[in-house]
Amino acid sequence: MSTSSDHLDGGGDTSADVSTSVAVLAPKGRDASVAVQVFAKAGIPSQSVPNLQALADLIERQIGAILITEEALSGPGADAVAQAIASQPSWSDVPFIVLANGTIARRSDHAASKMDVLRNAVLLSRPLHAEELTRAIRSALTARCRQYTARDQMEELQLRERQLYESEAKFHAIANSVDQMIWSTLPDGFHDYYNDRWYAFTGVPPGSTDGAGWNGMFHPDDQERAWQRWDRSLKTGEPYEIEYRLRHRSGEYRWVLGRAQPVRDKDGTIMRWYGTCTDIHEIKMAEEQRQLMLGEMNHRVKNTLAMVNVMVSQTLRRADSLEDAQLSIQSRIGMMAQAHDQLINATWTETHIREVIDAALAPHRTGEKRFEIEGPDIPIGSKQALGLTMALHELSTNASKYGALSVQQGKVCVTWSVESHNDDNTFRFHWVERDGPTVAPPLRRGFGSRMIEQALAGYFNGRAELLYDPAGLSFDLTAPLTGLTLQ
Amino acid sequence: MTVNTRKPPAVLIVEDEPLIRMDAIDIVEDAGFRTYEAASADAALLVMERVDDIAILFTDVDMPGSMNGLELAAHVRNTRPSVKILITSGIFNVDQSSLPNGAVVIQKPYAMGHVTRKLQEIAAELDAPCDQD
Repeated sequence: MSTSSDHLDGGGDTSADVSTSVAVLAPKGRDASVAVQVFAKAGIPSQSVPNLQALADLIERQIGAILITEEALSGPGADAVAQAIASQPSWSDVPFIVLANGTIARRSDHAASKMDVLRNAVLLSRPLHAEELTRAIRSALTARCRQYTARDQMEELQLRERQLYESEAKFHAIANSVDQMIWSTLPDGFHDYYNDRWYAFTGVPPGSTDGAGWNGMFHPDDQERAWQRWDRSLKTGEPYEIEYRLRHRSGEYRWVLGRAQPVRDKDGTIMRWYGTCTDIHEIKMAEEQRQLMLGEMNHRVKNTLAMVNVMVSQTLRRADSLEDAQLSIQSRIGMMAQAHDQLINATWTETHIREVIDAALAPHRTGEKRFEIEGPDIPIGSKQALGLTMALHELSTNASKYGALSVQQGKVCVTWSVESHNDDNTFRFHWVERDGPTVAPPLRRGFGSRMIEQALAGYFNGRAELLYDPAGLSFDLTAPLTGLTLQ
Repeated sequence: MTVNTRKPPAVLIVEDEPLIRMDAIDIVEDAGFRTYEAASADAALLVMERVDDIAILFTDVDMPGSMNGLELAAHVRNTRPSVKILITSGIFNVDQSSLPNGAVVIQKPYAMGHVTRKLQEIAAELDAPCDQD
């Protein structure tokens, strides 16, 4: 089939564009062939159709115009034609030119109603007059052409509307699927759009934060700052960025990162502002936690250095020789490092006394049963744990050099208990050496004994005493139970 | 004011860390002063109520209790203007405006010689004629 739509090609060519051609139905006599010849001469494409059914098909295919004889309006297929006309789209009004049957004045109601069915019909009398026919059909085709234009415009509008609808639906789907709150304002900063996330987060009714209502959702301490920042952006056009606390629907204020950018037209004039709010509460809290941790670490490191400083200066102050001092300092620093390890393994702030004692005595256990250790496993604070570790280190080192641990059969008893008397809970700790060499009070008091009697008691807010019993050195610590976890 | 100039001035040492307090007492006593000790600002105020011969307050800043060392120093400056103040702190660059007038600051950890020198300077001021009202 040819796809040519050369209109001059006319008569009987079914390949011509149906919408600009004329269908001719004049089954009797020569009317059809005459008409087709007239149209061909005038350059109007046309085709002769055999019956009403074929005509109905062409009507459905949006034929340009129809020339039909009045007698051809009746017969099989008339209903199909009526049906095809009735089902035309709203813009379409197929023009008919009817060649009258006899004189127009004597038409019956029945014959008139046949023509009314056509809706848009012009009656021409016979015999055919070529120019009259040509003008009538041109006029019909021109009117038909305007219908097509109207159709195209309507379809174009419908398409745009659909596209707009789809685009808007897509925008809402995107805007409401992201995790962030999105908002938009007029150039003067009037808020006229918030996505669903905003309402889900704040729990306020839709529309209630339009205009400048958003500011009231901020933490009272952040409102002024946010307002000034936003005002500056509106005045200068520079991007808006701020962290503030936004009231969550739970009533809690959560940290949020607010950002906005202006969108400008081609002249640079701001058309709208588009902004987001991102919930950064978790990040912010983690950051604060980290700062606290760093501060705490810094404090502890400085404190540790201060203690090392004291320990070194105290050791040097009381040392018999530089060599002795070196060994003592190294062993004391090692002990402090080990005590810190233990606190790191625990929660930093608290550990258990049994663990502290076991760890402190571990370097001095020489395989045999030199230690008897007994007491309830109660919590102990980090300062007290460090103090106790230092004291046990001094006691063990002394015992290894001069006391019970310096001989084969010597033993050390480490016991502690909590005694309740009325509402007072008292912590008692004992270190007792047995079966060692005879003990004599030292000629001068070293770092160890001073640390034990003065500093250790301070850590526990209690009393500490070293007893130089000739049968064996002993040490007693008595403190309120609350002193074990004193900060 | 010390009545007997032959009697060494007394220093109140306020420090919550027992080991550091012990060492501070040694340093101050070795420098020729008498000492009182307290583990907190609250305890220090109790000591000051009890005894009236304290010439120098030697205090740490960061301590538990109802006030820290700076607050204690400010309080002492107001209630006992004649008491000299020596502040030890682990924080670098202590805000000078937060210090009472005439207070001396020593960084922690401190060297023995440094503390001794500062104490002697302060003691020299104590011996000099009183120039404040």
